[in-house]
Amino acid sequence: MNPFRRDADATPSRLVLRLFLRRLIDNDVISPHADRHESLAVLCALVVSLAVFVTFFITTEYLAAFIQLPGPTALSALSDRFLFISASIAVSALATLMVWDALALEPRDAAILGTLPIPARTITRAKLAAAFIFGTVFALALNAVPSVLYPLFLTLNLRGMHGRGILQLIAGHATSVVMAGLFGFSVILAARGVLRLIAGERGFRRVSSTVQSSLVVAAVTALLLAPAVRKTLVYDWVADATPARWPVRPVLWYLGVNETVAGHIVAETAVVLPPRFSFVGFPKHQDDASRAAYRALRPRFSELAERAWLSLPLVACLAVATFLWNNRRLPEHATGGATESRLRAGLRRMAERLTESNRETQAGFFFTWQTLTRSQPHRTIIAIAVAAGLTHLLLALATSGIHRLELPDMPRGLFAINIMLLAPLIAGFRYAVTVPPELRSNWTIRMAWLGDERDYLVGVKRAAIVALAATPLLTLLPLHVALFGFAIAAVHSIYGFMAATALLDGLFLGYRQFPFGCSYVPIENPKLLWPASLVSVLLAAYGFAGVERFALQTATRTAGLGAALAATVLLVKIADRATRRERLPVNFDERPAPATQRLGLFERIANHD
Amino acid sequence: MQARLEARQLSKYYSATPAIRDVSFTLEPGAILGLLGPNGSGKSTTVSLLTGLREPSAGQIWFDGRNIAEGLVEYQARVGYVPEEAHLYTFLSAREHLELIGRLRRLPARLLTHKISTLLDLLGLTSAADQQISGYSKGMKQKVLLIAALLHDPDLLILDEPESGLDLTAGLVLRHLIPILAARGKTILYSSHVLDHVERLCADVVVLHHGRIVAEGPVSQLRAMTQENASLEDVIAQLVTTVDPARTAGEIAEVSGLNA
Repeated sequence: MNPFRRDADATPSRLVLRLFLRRLIDNDVISPHADRHESLAVLCALVVSLAVFVTFFITTEYLAAFIQLPGPTALSALSDRFLFISASIAVSALATLMVWDALALEPRDAAILGTLPIPARTITRAKLAAAFIFGTVFALALNAVPSVLYPLFLTLNLRGMHGRGILQLIAGHATSVVMAGLFGFSVILAARGVLRLIAGERGFRRVSSTVQSSLVVAAVTALLLAPAVRKTLVYDWVADATPARWPVRPVLWYLGVNETVAGHIVAETAVVLPPRFSFVGFPKHQDDASRAAYRALRPRFSELAERAWLSLPLVACLAVATFLWNNRRLPEHATGGATESRLRAGLRRMAERLTESNRETQAGFFFTWQTLTRSQPHRTIIAIAVAAGLTHLLLALATSGIHRLELPDMPRGLFAINIMLLAPLIAGFRYAVTVPPELRSNWTIRMAWLGDERDYLVGVKRAAIVALAATPLLTLLPLHVALFGFAIAAVHSIYGFMAATALLDGLFLGYRQFPFGCSYVPIENPKLLWPASLVSVLLAAYGFAGVERFALQTATRTAGLGAALAATVLLVKIADRATRRERLPVNFDERPAPATQRLGLFERIANHD
Repeated sequence: MQARLEARQLSKYYSATPAIRDVSFTLEPGAILGLLGPNGSGKSTTVSLLTGLREPSAGQIWFDGRNIAEGLVEYQARVGYVPEEAHLYTFLSAREHLELIGRLRRLPARLLTHKISTLLDLLGLTSAADQQISGYSKGMKQKVLLIAALLHDPDLLILDEPESGLDLTAGLVLRHLIPILAARGKTILYSSHVLDHVERLCADVVVLHHGRIVAEGPVSQLRAMTQENASLEDVIAQLVTTVDPARTAGEIAEVSGLNA
């Protein structure tokens, strides 16, 4: 097929639609410099492998069962589907948040397309269609593999299940999760539209990044919480013990869709046992009771499904209406009168005083602060780290509640809240410094720096301590005062601060680049590094929480732990200074090895020859 | 007089493709050299080698009698650079960007604040100084680049298409500024397509074509090589143009007039 001929025959609206779709993938989902095909292939591989892994992990209990009964399976599958649906909503919302700025017409659209003889209405509709195609394709891609694998694995040992039943289960699962994904996409699009409508263009520009980051935190927190709470929430709902809370309700709506379309298939499957087994006694009673319990839920499923069928078109209509209204005219070149508020000016002066001893330290401090708060990839990294800490905080509070107990009886999880928030933040920050905010602008730093990154790095770390250690600790202080009382909460926060300082210096010990100024080189072994880091953080946080709980019981131990932490901070700083005595050249333009080299193909080919 | 900047047989290859070959020239303190050539002639590559942002495949650059490869950072500390494309950190405001540059160059706080405010004011950017650069026009970005290049009082100014996007007033200011800086002993390399400006500003020019120097020397000498009273534009056209401009223009008009 001749692509030029195809383009020549296309209508303007289709051409503009294709342009917007390409831009969504090229500029906003993937780095502007990356090869689209390679990046898309990596993205698809990631989605598929994660889907296979998660589905297999969830269904191990069914795959390992020698005799699987339909009644208990129908009930336990509810919490699995709850997980799939909540993940679909959260991940689709997250993907939509990643292209937040591309979800409306931009001044560059007006600059490029406004001069062509294409009506503004066509451009607006094409942008809207591109956004919806992106949302739909993403929801389909995300859910395609689990929609097939989960019903297959679920029913592998259900001997009475027939092929048509499995197909129906696949259809039910696919319908519910794809609808849930579209719901997640539409909610973000509608939220953006409503915010823009209420705040106006200038107001929206002012709050947009904060709202986007808050929504990223909410979506990631929901995604991380879902596996931990799915069973409790679903069992409570089945037992009608507590009414479902608001964030859980949309998930239950789409669960209702699945159960009305195909849920009865498993519950009504006949029991077929292996030869020489008889179906009597406890297993039969258990199966009968579970089937009866499931049947009793069916009217509630229908009610939920009705809400799902209603909610999706409603939210989508709201998204479309606000989009069309907000983009009824092509946007003009954005110029904002960004005057500095008194508070910001005061804070800036304070920060200038904090770093005035050295100009490069000042440069590092301010550039870090500006990058973390304004550059989208960096905001996202920090938002994900905040979400990880927030998830632990919510789980810890849900387990123990906010009661003041005697110190030795306090759960360790409550003492671990600080470290479980600070450790992801500082690890996330260590990763964030390797990501250049705008690669093409790095030349400004390369031309201006005077050959010694050490003072600049001091400023970078100082900004991290203020933004990612002191600020979260101060935010959490009221909660800790409520849990431990003021004196212990204050000491606990000081411990947290010292631990964060030691961790930050420790993570930068081997770092020899120019923060935010060098090209990005991916981590070499993420499959090993990320799980190992997660386990280390959990072990360290809970280990330290146990030590802290023990130490805070007497004044001597409290002082002892404080002294030990201060000594650790000092030691790491001394080690840092010692390793930086010798100056090493900074490579601003380091490039990752090509994919063929990463796979070791060159070596294999050479060995083969 | 010792040359301030000396390019010695510079070559740069991208994979196996040569971008420039054996480019040599010298610049003395207070000199303004025009770097000319059509698109793809190797001007930008030459400029990027002279800034130290890229390494030459062969050849050397000497500054004040020292190979810059032996002290790249010290060299860059004395260079002011205005690139052809205005890539700036768009999430910063002009003031924040200039503060970043000035702090990295260790300029004293008071001097930096004074220079930034005054230069922003002189170039008419004060009202937009605290807006993010993402909302700036090309000309406004160009002014920010120019201020950033001048902040640390550099000895060598490398200007790659500095007038691109500038309004009439700012363009005139720049054209008056360059001779003043040269009179103060600054060395200036001026790469531009606007031959009229080059002719007025530069005593000497280097003409690149297909990565090689095809002509160099004083403008008057180049003129003498061709017919009498020829402008610099005529000289360059004679040196590097391989097509008949009038014929090409006619053909463009013909093609653009085609209807379905």
